[in-house]
Amino acid sequence: MTEPIRLAILGCGAITRSEHIPAVSAHPGVHLVALVDTDLPRANALIQNRGLSCKAVADYRELLGQVDAVINALPNHLHVSSNMDCLRAGVHVLCEKPLAITAADARSCAEFAEDKKLVLAVGMNRRFAASHSLLKLIIEEGLLGSIQDYDFQYGGAFDWRSASGFYFDRAKAGGGALVDFGVHMLDSVIDWFGPVSTFDYQDDDWGSGIEANLFLDVKHAGHEAAISTQPSALSKDTPGHLRISRTFTLKNRILVRGTVASAEIFVQDPEVVVIHRALGGVPVSETLRLENFPGGSSYWRQLDNFVQSIANRGKPEVAGWQAVRVLELIESCYAHKRRIAEPWAESGAESGTKSRTATGPATVTANSGAHK
Amino acid sequence: MNWRNETVFVTGATGFIGGRVCERMMQAGVPKLRALIHGMHRAARIARMPVELCPGDLLDRESLRRALGEAKVVIHCGLGPANNIVRGTENVLAVAHAAGVKRFIHVSTAAIYGITPPPGSETEDAPLGRTGDAYCDNKAAAEKVVLDYGKRGVPVVILRPSIVWGPYSAWSTRLMDDLRAGRVVFLEGGNGACNTTYVDNLIDAMILGLENDGALNQAFFITDGERVSWGDFIRAHMALLEPPPEVKEISRAEIEASRGRSSGLLLGSMKATARVARSKEFRQMLMQIPLTEAAMKKAWNWISSLPPEKRERLRARLGVRRAAPKSAKGKFIPDAVTEATQSTTVFFSIEKARKMLGYEPCVRFADGMKLVEQWLRYAAYL
Repeated sequence: MTEPIRLAILGCGAITRSEHIPAVSAHPGVHLVALVDTDLPRANALIQNRGLSCKAVADYRELLGQVDAVINALPNHLHVSSNMDCLRAGVHVLCEKPLAITAADARSCAEFAEDKKLVLAVGMNRRFAASHSLLKLIIEEGLLGSIQDYDFQYGGAFDWRSASGFYFDRAKAGGGALVDFGVHMLDSVIDWFGPVSTFDYQDDDWGSGIEANLFLDVKHAGHEAAISTQPSALSKDTPGHLRISRTFTLKNRILVRGTVASAEIFVQDPEVVVIHRALGGVPVSETLRLENFPGGSSYWRQLDNFVQSIANRGKPEVAGWQAVRVLELIESCYAHKRRIAEPWAESGAESGTKSRTATGPATVTANSGAHK
Repeated sequence: MNWRNETVFVTGATGFIGGRVCERMMQAGVPKLRALIHGMHRAARIARMPVELCPGDLLDRESLRRALGEAKVVIHCGLGPANNIVRGTENVLAVAHAAGVKRFIHVSTAAIYGITPPPGSETEDAPLGRTGDAYCDNKAAAEKVVLDYGKRGVPVVILRPSIVWGPYSAWSTRLMDDLRAGRVVFLEGGNGACNTTYVDNLIDAMILGLENDGALNQAFFITDGERVSWGDFIRAHMALLEPPPEVKEISRAEIEASRGRSSGLLLGSMKATARVARSKEFRQMLMQIPLTEAAMKKAWNWISSLPPEKRERLRARLGVRRAAPKSAKGKFIPDAVTEATQSTTVFFSIEKARKMLGYEPCVRFADGMKLVEQWLRYAAYL
């Protein structure tokens, strides 16, 4: 057996505590060398608290040369510089989403990693839920018939207790709910239905750039390979409706409607897909799950995919360029956004003094993703 | 005073009223808005505005000084830990006094007269007595502190809204949940006085309090000025549901009969309190890990000092059963807080606010309800 990969985790915030440390501790192919945090006592406390035998380091640059790989869980705005420092030193990177705040920065990371033949994986843990590959299979095998549309909702009272609170700072977070949850959802739907060709985007940003609610209607161009091999379940313009909220509890599921049946994945049960169809005119549902699916958390599977990619010099499940594709789309959305109408917010005696953005449909042709 | 060119500081900014205050201040075009934030993760609604999110704690004066910054206008919607309402308010006042603020709007409550305000409390000059409810009594005591600081030169205005409702209000969202779950009854024919105060009407009154120097050192009841009963309020929400839910009538005598002697406004029993005290959420709130008898006592005091709606929410969240979970003859028995809230016959008078503030409620109940309906649809409650 090969030597375990020497790994450091950058950032000791919420996701490191809840997911990365348990995943790393449970993976035999990884040797945790250090936890990195500018708040050194915090890193030390975490090491002690979890009974880890690694060291605490304030500056990740001290570790370059001592580690083979890092998990980058720093706040969003620090991803690019730290990713580049690591890649330059020949260190493989598993970076938490989003890979960068701008698509251009994400692209430079992705290109650099490709040039240097290093693994740059992006933390899209939902790809490692069984339902992700299962739904792909269900669509490809025509179980739903031809796909009509989908409705994807994700929302609840925001409760992410990040250590730094960076998520409400536009310069550090890069945006609001769309960057935060949207990267996951867009990554998934692009993988299922192909690149986004056109979109119509609305959010409730009142000037901070940190939207709490958004509606995104898209059309997917389908997968080239699949479309050329007729018949395909995916047309060239599959419509999709996405809604994200940090303030309201939504249905928290994706419902994919086909001519024969519908498929549903619930956020709280990401290991199964529920199929709804009619049997002799009677509506029935059945739950599909993958047999022989590896156990562990999606973060463990994501780490395992990263480790295998390093060992086999292969591509990870979500490589840098896929993150670029999603970030380009998000940038286009922000550039062409309309404000969600909130008539209840206009009722005050002071209304009329503020400026309103124009309303009315504005479908935009996406220049992102389609060329990939 | 001309407040539109001033930096405004809002406490309780992550709450329902404070959140709307922030929106209205942005709409009014104030140059800068500073919001006191106790739990950053609760700030999603106001974080979408260019508001300065200032971490701080009502019980930490130094944090309040930093959060207040250069602001010369304070709108105090914050509550803080309920058994520390008075201390929290005093801290904000002290910091505001030291900074020489030009106006301090204190959001009090008509509940200083109790959860069931007795006849005779229709006007602001009605004498205050102890109600026995920690939230009500603490809010009453906080008013005294505000007036003390008024005497020391802080330009204070006190507003006493009642049932503040509107988009984002739990009065509507919980009522929708309860209607769906069959947990709503018309108490005594639904004739109790609801004293609705549409949130934008309250904020109009705040703005008048900022502008009107004749309002200093005064307290004002603020409502929609309509005689909306609890039955009206409930029926307006029932009409939004399809099919309309069935809501039965119940008398207080029926409730008493079903409840026996175990009536009360607390969690129902010490056993229920023990369950709350053992919960992780509660102990995190108290920062208290070992569960001692002293902690239990503290738990009891703390819970009984919460405003009724928070107490209910905590009860619901922690899975503590209501005081009277039974139904009598197929009728749902409301909990004691709901019963008390819906039992008052007092409609507060807004004549003083009309005269001295120039207040006139702009949003009528029916119009407010239309806006709430639109919002409930948006918020995925309908």
